[in-house]
Amino acid sequence: MTIRTRLTLWYSGVFFLSSVIIGAVAYREFVVEHRELLGRDGHPSGEPEHERFEDEEAEEAEVLEHIVQIGAWFGLPAALLGLVGGWFLVRQALAPVAELTAAAGRITEHNLEERLPRSGNGDELDRLTEVFNGMTARLAGSFQRIREFTLNASHELKTPLTVLQGELEAASLDPELSAAHRERCGTQLDEVQRLAQIVDGLSLLTKADAGLVPLAHAPVRLDELVQDAFADAQILAQPREVAVRLGACEPLTIRGDRNRLRQLLLNLTDNAVKYNYAGGLVTIALEAAEGRARLTIENTGAGVPSDLQSRVFERFFRVDPSHHNEIEGSGLGLSTARWIVSAHRGEISFASEPGGLTTVAVSLAMEAP
Amino acid sequence: MRVLVVEDHQNTAAFVRKALLAEGFAVDVCGNGEDGLMAALTTPYDAIVLDIMLPGRDGLSVLRQLRDRLNATPVILLSARGEVDERIEGLNTGADDYLPKPFVVAELVARLRALGRRGNESRATVLRVGDLRLDTVSRAARRGGQEFDLTAREYRLLEFLMRSAGRICTRTAILEKVWDYDFDPGSNIVDVYLKRLREKLDAGFEPKLFHTVRGVGYVLKEVP
Repeated sequence: MTIRTRLTLWYSGVFFLSSVIIGAVAYREFVVEHRELLGRDGHPSGEPEHERFEDEEAEEAEVLEHIVQIGAWFGLPAALLGLVGGWFLVRQALAPVAELTAAAGRITEHNLEERLPRSGNGDELDRLTEVFNGMTARLAGSFQRIREFTLNASHELKTPLTVLQGELEAASLDPELSAAHRERCGTQLDEVQRLAQIVDGLSLLTKADAGLVPLAHAPVRLDELVQDAFADAQILAQPREVAVRLGACEPLTIRGDRNRLRQLLLNLTDNAVKYNYAGGLVTIALEAAEGRARLTIENTGAGVPSDLQSRVFERFFRVDPSHHNEIEGSGLGLSTARWIVSAHRGEISFASEPGGLTTVAVSLAMEAP
Repeated sequence: MRVLVVEDHQNTAAFVRKALLAEGFAVDVCGNGEDGLMAALTTPYDAIVLDIMLPGRDGLSVLRQLRDRLNATPVILLSARGEVDERIEGLNTGADDYLPKPFVVAELVARLRALGRRGNESRATVLRVGDLRLDTVSRAARRGGQEFDLTAREYRLLEFLMRSAGRICTRTAILEKVWDYDFDPGSNIVDVYLKRLREKLDAGFEPKLFHTVRGVGYVLKEVP
C-alpha cells in the first residue's frame, strides 16, 4: 500500500469518526436537554407513569432516527469529501517526493553533477532535497577522486616504465652481454611492455570516463571496416587453426570515429579467435535491422558461465583467473569495446552457452542514405 | 646529427642520451625549459627532443617561443599523458612529431632519422634487400627466381620494411604506417603477419633477411 493510499484512508477514517462523534454528542445533548425539560415541567398531563415513558421512548427514537438521517445525508458526503480531498491533498504534499524519486532514479555515475531544483521555502521536502543534493555532490567528489587517482597513477607509472623499458632495451641489444643475459632482458622487456599496455588501456578508459577522449563524427562505411577486420582475423586465426567466416556484410554507413570503430572490430575478432579451440569457428556478420546496423561476432569455445556473463565488460575481469597468463591481453578489451560502442550511442550485448556459441552483438544507429 | 634533449627526469635523459650516442648522434641534455630554450636558440641543432612536462617553462611554451622566433629546428615532443588533444596541440604549435611515454628508444631513433632524412626518401620503384626484390608498380615480390603473391596488407608491410631496410622498425611504427592505427590494438597482429611473411619469403632461403629485435620490433637486413 502506498503512503498516499494509507494517508487518504486514515484521513477519511478520522473524518468519518469525527462526524460520528459529533453526531453522538449532538444526540446526547438533545436527549439530555429534552429529559431536563420534562423533569422541570413535572407531569403536566397527569398521565400515568408508564405512558409518559412510552412517549419519551418514542420521541427519543425519533430524535435518534433524525440524527442518523442527518448523519447519512451529511456525514457520508462529508466522509466522501474527506476521501477525495484527502487524496488530492496528499497528492499535492507528495508530488515533490515523486519528483525526488524520479530524479534519484535518473542518477548514474555519469550525471552526478546534476542537482535537483529546490523550492527554497525551507519545508521538510526542501530540506530533503538539500540533503539529497549534498549526498550526490559527495558521491560526485568520490568518483572524481577515483578518476583522478587512476589518471595520476597511470601518469606516474609511465615515467619509471619509460626508464625501465629503455634500460632493458639497451641491455637486450648490448653485444657485450652474454646471449643468455640478453635473452633474460628480452623476456623482462616483454613483460614491461605488457605492463605499459595495461597502463595505457587503463588511462584511456579513465579519460573516456571523464569525457576527455574526443571522437570523430564522420560518415564511415562500416562494411569496409568489417571486410578489413575479417582479413586480419583470418591471419590471426591461422596459427590457432580456427576458421573465420564472413556471413552477411551489407553495405551500410554509420557516423563515428573510423579508428575507434576499427579498434572495436579488432578487439572483438581478436577475442573470438583467442577464446576458441583448434578446429573452432568464428563468424562475423553485418546486417541492417530496423534502421540500425547490427554487427554480430560468434565464436565456438569454452564460453562463459551464465552467472558470470554480466561481468564480462568489467575491467580486468577473467572467467578463469587462475589461467589468465595463458592468454595474452590486457584484460581491458571488452571494457574498451563497450566504451567505444556507448560513445557511438550504440548497444553491445554478450551471450554465451558454456561449451557452445559465444555471441557479441553490437547495434549502432545507421546514417540515413 | 646533433640533437638537443630537453628532459627533466634524469634517468630518462640518461638512457636517451646513451642510446643516441650509441647511434652516432651528438647529444646535449638540458634539465629545464629555460635552459632548453636558451640552448636551442644559440646552437644550431639538427633536431630537438622536447619533454612536455618540464619544471618552469613547459615544453609547449618552449616550442612556441622557438617558432615565434622563426627557429625551424625539427622537434619531437615527448609526453607521459599521451592525450589526443595534447598531440594535436603539439603538432599545431609546430612540433614535427610526437611520442607518448613509455617509448621504445629505437622508435625515437627511427623518428629522429626520419626527420633528418625528410624530403629525400627513396623513390625507387624496385626495392632490393639481398636477393629479395619488390616491384612497387606490379606489387610482386621475387626471391630465388620465385614469384610470390602478397595480400594488400602483406605488400604494405613488406614495402615499409624494405624501405627502412637496415633500420629497426618498431611495432608502433609498423602499426602506424601499415595499419594506420594510432592506438595500441592489444593484439599480436604485427607478429602474426610478420610470421606469415617470413614463412613465405624467408623460410626456404639463405641468408635470412628477416630479423626480430626482441621486445622492440623487426629489421630487414642481409647480415645479422
